[in-house]
Amino acid sequence: MSGTLANRTALVTGGAGGIGSAICRRFAREGATVMAADIAGLDKVGDAGIRPLQLDITSEESVTAAFAALSEEWGRLDILVNAAGIEIEKTIEETTLAEWNRIFAINVTGMFLVSKHALPLLRQSKAASVINFGSYDGFIADPGLAAYCATKGAVHALTRAMACDHGPEGIRVNAICPGYVDTPMLQSFFGESGDIESLRQAVRDVHPMRTYGQPEDIANLVNWLASDEARYASGQLWVLDGGLSAQVQQMRL
Amino acid sequence: MSVGRLAGKTALVTGGRQGIGRGIVDAFALEGARVMTCGRGERPSGLPKEVLWSTTDMSRGDAVEALANQVIEDLGGLHVLVNNAGVQIEKTVADTTDADWDQLMGVNAKGVFLACRALIPRMDDGGSIINIGSISGNVADPGLALYNASKAFVHGLTRSIAVDHGPGLRCNAICPGWINTGMADAAFAVAQDPEAARSDALARHPVGRFGRPDDIARMAVWLASDESTFVSGQCFAVDGGLTAASPLNPALF
Repeated sequence: MSGTLANRTALVTGGAGGIGSAICRRFAREGATVMAADIAGLDKVGDAGIRPLQLDITSEESVTAAFAALSEEWGRLDILVNAAGIEIEKTIEETTLAEWNRIFAINVTGMFLVSKHALPLLRQSKAASVINFGSYDGFIADPGLAAYCATKGAVHALTRAMACDHGPEGIRVNAICPGYVDTPMLQSFFGESGDIESLRQAVRDVHPMRTYGQPEDIANLVNWLASDEARYASGQLWVLDGGLSAQVQQMRL
Repeated sequence: MSVGRLAGKTALVTGGRQGIGRGIVDAFALEGARVMTCGRGERPSGLPKEVLWSTTDMSRGDAVEALANQVIEDLGGLHVLVNNAGVQIEKTVADTTDADWDQLMGVNAKGVFLACRALIPRMDDGGSIINIGSISGNVADPGLALYNASKAFVHGLTRSIAVDHGPGLRCNAICPGWINTGMADAAFAVAQDPEAARSDALARHPVGRFGRPDDIARMAVWLASDESTFVSGQCFAVDGGLTAASPLNPALF
């Protein structure tokens, strides 16, 4: 099969989610052998040759079992996309310890566990690329998303650390930091607004590109970072937000 | 006044007629420094009599050289240089003329370079250069293209001076946000509804107010004092939290 990722093997966590599923579809189209890992929603996965994998990234047992199976079947892993993540719309005062621990377990510890146990298989690749999901919220805060912002800051630091430690082994590690992307998570952030269409328009208007992103926009960058065109790219945090964070706060003038 | 935090120090503050520069002049004098300031026009009437004044166009090399000689002659040496003089032109790149470029870059960029070149060799060991950058040098204010770019120049020059001229000199930048000065008023004046624009802008400041010149002056006093002798090469945003937040706050719509 031709395509920029022909003969590559790829594992995408959060593969049933808004961004994760778009990445899986793109990878499959580019010729990769793709496994979509998620804890739920896998019944929607399975088209276009994408294989579902039930995986709880917060459980080391679940993670090691998954990589034991991948080791048998593939013998190597070329592309790891850590796209699994959740959002909690609360300030620190409203956030319970259980909620705090849960979002860190998924967004940070899960990334740690999956990456850690992927390393032996990544070392078998001639072009290993790990793509983590940070967020522009790891740089500047959205109100009422405190724990989420903190997890993304941790992802950014972890990305640089992994790039540093495993670059000499031929493993590239980057993070993509999306802004507003049209996903179920964004719809949830829009929340209970009475007039969601006017809110959507207002959000579009704040962006220099006058639109928010689609999951396919993110998949475009993931595809590039996974490919050999990005062979010199590592340790970086790639903000992809339609220009949103290039601006000072956009006052209504 | 000899008990002040800048007792025994001498300082030149460019652009001290009004606004932030005047705030720094007043604060330095209050803390016991001997201060000279300058501007293109005649000595302003309200300037405290112990503060020296020089009529100088900072964009002209010969004028700045003369100012440097005068500073050393009148103050007997120089510990602190504050490059504050600056102009703002509210235009996009497409609207900007060659004359606009010469005026704005002449003061905001070349003026800072000229002052540093003339005074670095003459400054006392242990001296401190404080450049006034802007949050607009990090993220863009709409319609202020050259101003934004000139402040990014200031941030870059700040790091170079710190690197090249340590350990004898320290150099840092302060990046003010929205400070109540003539410049902020000019920005609101272009709004369709200046009052609504002002209240919207206020709502985007976590501290609930705009800055005052003395907010910047307090940071300048600290950077000029011996409390900051390990601080060099940094750009400090003093903006009431504005740029810590996302440009997009759906709650404000």
